[in-house]
Amino acid sequence: MRAPALRALGLMTAWGHGAAAIPEDALSAADGRHLLSLGRPSHEGERFRRATRECVLGIAAVETMLKDACAPREAIAGERTALLYAAAGSYAASNRLFIERGIGGAYFPYTAPAAVPAEVTIEFCLTGPFAIFIGGPPATLRAIWYAATLLEAGLCDRALVLAVETFEECADLYTVSDRRTGHPLVEAAASLWLEPGVGALSLETHRGGPDSDHSEIRRRLGETFACEPLAVLDLWRHGNVGVPLSLRGRWRGETARLSWTDAMVPRDRAPRSHTAGTS
Amino acid sequence: MGGLAGRVNRIAIVAAGVVTPIGEGLEQFWSSLVTGVSGISPIERFPVADFRVGRGGEIKKITRIKDWSRVPECRATRLLVSAADELCAEAGSRPLPGDPDRVAVVVGTALGGVEEGEKALAGGRRLQRLRGALYDSPTQNLARWLGARGPAITVSTACASSATAIGVGADLLRQGVVDAVVAGGYDILCRFVMRGFDALRSLTREEMRPFDRRRSGLLLGEAAALVLMRREGDAGARRLGMLLGHGSASDGWHIAAPEPDGRGLEHSIRAAMREAGVEPQDVHFVSAHGTGTPLNDRIETAVLKRVLGPRAHQVPVNSIKAGMGHTMGAAAVLEGIMCLLASRHGQIPPTLNLEEPDSECDLDYVPGEARSARPEISLSTSLGFGGCNATLVLEGGTS
Repeated sequence: MRAPALRALGLMTAWGHGAAAIPEDALSAADGRHLLSLGRPSHEGERFRRATRECVLGIAAVETMLKDACAPREAIAGERTALLYAAAGSYAASNRLFIERGIGGAYFPYTAPAAVPAEVTIEFCLTGPFAIFIGGPPATLRAIWYAATLLEAGLCDRALVLAVETFEECADLYTVSDRRTGHPLVEAAASLWLEPGVGALSLETHRGGPDSDHSEIRRRLGETFACEPLAVLDLWRHGNVGVPLSLRGRWRGETARLSWTDAMVPRDRAPRSHTAGTS
Repeated sequence: MGGLAGRVNRIAIVAAGVVTPIGEGLEQFWSSLVTGVSGISPIERFPVADFRVGRGGEIKKITRIKDWSRVPECRATRLLVSAADELCAEAGSRPLPGDPDRVAVVVGTALGGVEEGEKALAGGRRLQRLRGALYDSPTQNLARWLGARGPAITVSTACASSATAIGVGADLLRQGVVDAVVAGGYDILCRFVMRGFDALRSLTREEMRPFDRRRSGLLLGEAAALVLMRREGDAGARRLGMLLGHGSASDGWHIAAPEPDGRGLEHSIRAAMREAGVEPQDVHFVSAHGTGTPLNDRIETAVLKRVLGPRAHQVPVNSIKAGMGHTMGAAAVLEGIMCLLASRHGQIPPTLNLEEPDSECDLDYVPGEARSARPEISLSTSLGFGGCNATLVLEGGTS
């Protein structure tokens, strides 16, 4: 299928902003810490009074993406922008709060995974196509793939792929559950801006097989669940453009792989030979 | 992916399976719908004495599966497996025919395995159950039970989730990523969701009355429903119907309330009709979200009039939620299956408890009893928390 082109990417991890902040070795950089938090970005106003930390991080990731694009908010507003959200467990904090503390009904809507993209759509006036994928890295790869289908079908002019993962509020639960992998848990939020491109994209899934393909990025980055593919994309963008882009993700025994050519070539700026035959 | 030339728009729905408060299996589900059976009852499975409302569409017993020894002790998973067992029987075998690596499972849910989280965090702190609390756990369990080795995808667009699942599943087929998709949705009743809706004052102490002047809120229900989809050319002659189009849009308005003019819903309907190549005069029936809340039913009515124009007053519109409760992640796929069964059987199920018309809800909502009609092309609309809107366009088929 026709690949999208990467217009901008906003990456925030507990290591800092962007790919440049990612260390060579997460375990050494963590210096004995099992969990690195992103904290809560400051957003003023009544509307954010009940908004959970993951919601505000989602908004901050989109703001970071807009800075990367040197674009105003108006550039993404409206019904021609799709939003695809991916997360493995960022809803866990709000679910736990609701279960254990018996907080009021007004907080109930924030327990849904849909709360993060909802706050983002409200903040940036996004009213286009919409989907939410739950799971680890493969969920994000499927969100990118789905963005490509929407762009190819002309259902939107641009698509944002958003991922947010927070751990701090459930740190004790991750410690006792089998999600701990030996890598530090690193909170992250990232937003990717995609436009129609000229390359090719393919998605493959298989089960089983070794985890070795995925351990290198986790050794560098730490465990970021659904944010991992966007961090890899940012690393590739800042160091390896020119080599083939292949994003892989593994979760619960399932491996997804996205092969992507000409990821940096948008259709409207492509040489004539690239666009011939495209609608 | 990429093996197909062009965009294959027509996706066949070849089999289905359901478990609902008004019946386990398609036959009982349909019979209850057309005869107006109510599955609303006092909730018995967990304490509700501290809630304003303790009734809902609770499934009292799952009878289809006799041996649960190979299925996790998770109610959400068990509802899904029960629905999948019927689907496999309809399709002819389990595992499903074909290469298991080319079978995807795409499931929508508003709540995932949250009850497992409640149990894990309760007094006994059975923390080993936490893995089951992740929203994608029941989908993974279902994929294992089915023997499906393709993508196992969980989507969660609140109460529009199973419409999104069907839409994503259709795109997996259109792009040639897989050859068969088991898609649908589920959600269960548990203290978590009852407490949430109860505290929001969304639940009614009366009957659920979609589009009635006296409507005062919704009741919740639990269900699971799945469809088996294939590309039309791979599907054979026997089928429930076709998925012609899917559309989605966000409101960008409020975390819990729908946008007052229904612009997001309108965008999603127009997108689905555009994908389906359907004009207002082609639409024979609308399965509305119809939650019986004052705002939802008024907004849906206004949107249908804007999108369909004069045709809106000529097509029957129903809501089947009054008899089952709002089954959240299962609602859209159940309503889609209902549209296809209406075409097969030549009857449109009534909107239960609609007795007093509302001047703001002035369409033909099929009150009272089932209507003899054989809708060929139907719209099914869904709305969810966070401003999620989704629409399916379906065409009845031959069996």
